[in-house]
Amino acid sequence: MKLIRHTLRSLFVPVLVIFTVWGWVFYLMVLHEVEDETDDTLENYKEIIIRSALADSTMLEDHVDIMSRYYIREVAGEEAKPDKDEFFDSTVYIEIEKEYEPVRVLRTYFMTADNRFYELTIAISTLEKEDMIETTVWSMLVLYILLIGCVLLVIHLGFRRSLKPLYTLLDRLKNFQVGKTNAPLVNPTRIDEFKILNEAVEESFHRSSDLYNRQKQFVENAAHELQTPLAICLNKLELMSENPDCTEAQLQEMAELHRTLSDIIRLNKTLLLLTRIENNQFPDTREINLNQLVRHMTEDFSEIYESKALDLQIREEGTLLCTMNESLASTLVANLLKNAYVHNYEGGSIEISITATGLVIANTDSDKPLDVSLLFSRFARQSKHHESTGLGLAIVKSIADLYSIRIDYRYESGMHKFMLFFQK
Amino acid sequence: MKILVVEDEEALRQVIVQSLKKERYVVECASTFREASDKINEYDYDCIVLDIMLPGGSGLTLLGELKALRKKSGVIIVSAKDSIDDKVAGLDLGADDYLTKPFHLTELNARVKSVIRRKQQNGEQHLSLANITIYPDRHAVTINGEALSVNRKEFDILYYFISNPNRLISKATLAESVWGDYIDQADSFDFIYSQVKNLRKKLKSAGAIPEIKAVYGFGYKMTCED
Repeated sequence: MKLIRHTLRSLFVPVLVIFTVWGWVFYLMVLHEVEDETDDTLENYKEIIIRSALADSTMLEDHVDIMSRYYIREVAGEEAKPDKDEFFDSTVYIEIEKEYEPVRVLRTYFMTADNRFYELTIAISTLEKEDMIETTVWSMLVLYILLIGCVLLVIHLGFRRSLKPLYTLLDRLKNFQVGKTNAPLVNPTRIDEFKILNEAVEESFHRSSDLYNRQKQFVENAAHELQTPLAICLNKLELMSENPDCTEAQLQEMAELHRTLSDIIRLNKTLLLLTRIENNQFPDTREINLNQLVRHMTEDFSEIYESKALDLQIREEGTLLCTMNESLASTLVANLLKNAYVHNYEGGSIEISITATGLVIANTDSDKPLDVSLLFSRFARQSKHHESTGLGLAIVKSIADLYSIRIDYRYESGMHKFMLFFQK
Repeated sequence: MKILVVEDEEALRQVIVQSLKKERYVVECASTFREASDKINEYDYDCIVLDIMLPGGSGLTLLGELKALRKKSGVIIVSAKDSIDDKVAGLDLGADDYLTKPFHLTELNARVKSVIRRKQQNGEQHLSLANITIYPDRHAVTINGEALSVNRKEFDILYYFISNPNRLISKATLAESVWGDYIDQADSFDFIYSQVKNLRKKLKSAGAIPEIKAVYGFGYKMTCED
């Protein structure tokens, strides 16, 4: 969930509750005010009627019109409760409209000069009140929705504005790649928290880049420095083995030594190759025809494949062209072909298919699917094959990365499938 | 044949010299830029084994000097730096070959021989050992003047043996020289074994005098007892 959605959602509920309560209270207040007004009107009316009734006894009779009506009834003295106004809601049947209408009623008592008691009942239509309440409620509802909308909009805009540096930083974090040249961070802000965050992010990026470069440099230097001593060891051993005085047992020991030394040399060379690929020290590129390359290489490998009785099938559905360094292209293909050979069993098969956008090399293997997370990491051998350096696929990966070739692995019907997708 | 070895690392220089002397070359050596420059100016060599990083200067400068002197020496650069740029620069400056340290002595041998052979302008270039003659440019082999049909791998292996007669060649070296750096698996040794076995059979039935002998555990040796 995005931060803005989360924020809006968590703000929305309280805002909704507060506004609802507020709206309800407001409605009640308006209602109360309207009733008050009605009652006031009734009281005023009462004053006028009583006054005119006291002055003129002919007025002591009922009066009915649409808007207001009053009834005067003489009552017994004990029944009358002077100074007691009684308000209540009622309905009145209106003959013209043949229906009941809501009214507000005031019942009061008064005494004329001749000590007679009268009950006065005044009713005024509250139709107007209903209308008013309805209008009020509707306008409140509209205002309510508008207000909530505005509040959310303002929050949204404010949020976006004030958190813009955060998103710039997030972008930076997402796009940062150790070992690649990254543009300096441009994220001007007046907010202290973001300033601190900017600095912290830049500092940590700088540190990891630095660490990475130093580590890479170290591997490269170490590998370089090892070349000459290794050459001396190897060559001395080779000379020594040619000494005719060597016994067979000694020769065998030397052969063992020679093989181990050769492994070290190969490992060292491979490490150098890896650092060189990562340092982008293969600038010369040209358009490579992968079909030709694969055909050529498999031809080279054919005798080796035969020695394991492997069945090789190449399916070409298109011409795959890619602009890359020639020797890296060879290394890429050779490592995959070698991989398919080494991790295969006697009499197994290798299937290669080439399309205009991709290259798939699949091989049979009795092993289970490989752990994808370890597949392309260095020295992460997942098989019993002790001969491999454990760097073959790491090289494949770094070459693929260099040329933005997407590489994928799948295990399907007993076959390991390595898929390369070239960008057009 | 006179060879100059320019290498500053003493131990390495010694083994290279020792190995080349086994091939009955006259070998001289230089350990600094100055020394090498003096020798190049004074003498003629058939082949120069040249390290690039030298105390006092770069081997590439020496290469330029050599060219300016219009010397016909073949040059093999040996460098710890396996970078394409250096390789290209070296070859552009007129080096004949480029070897990255560490290398097998037999490999250096083969390269030296090949460079010297290419520098000889007379007639078709070939390499002979007793009654076997190989023509590297057209991948042909003759025994007693009669053509012997071999496949490409067999040819490469034979070429390596002929370049290194009486030298012990390990299976790993052979595998590497024939397959390049791609094959680094022990599995390929079985393959080398079967290829050598085939080749041996072919040589024998064609009446070749040199013989490929297995040296137990280590590899092979081509001996020529005439």
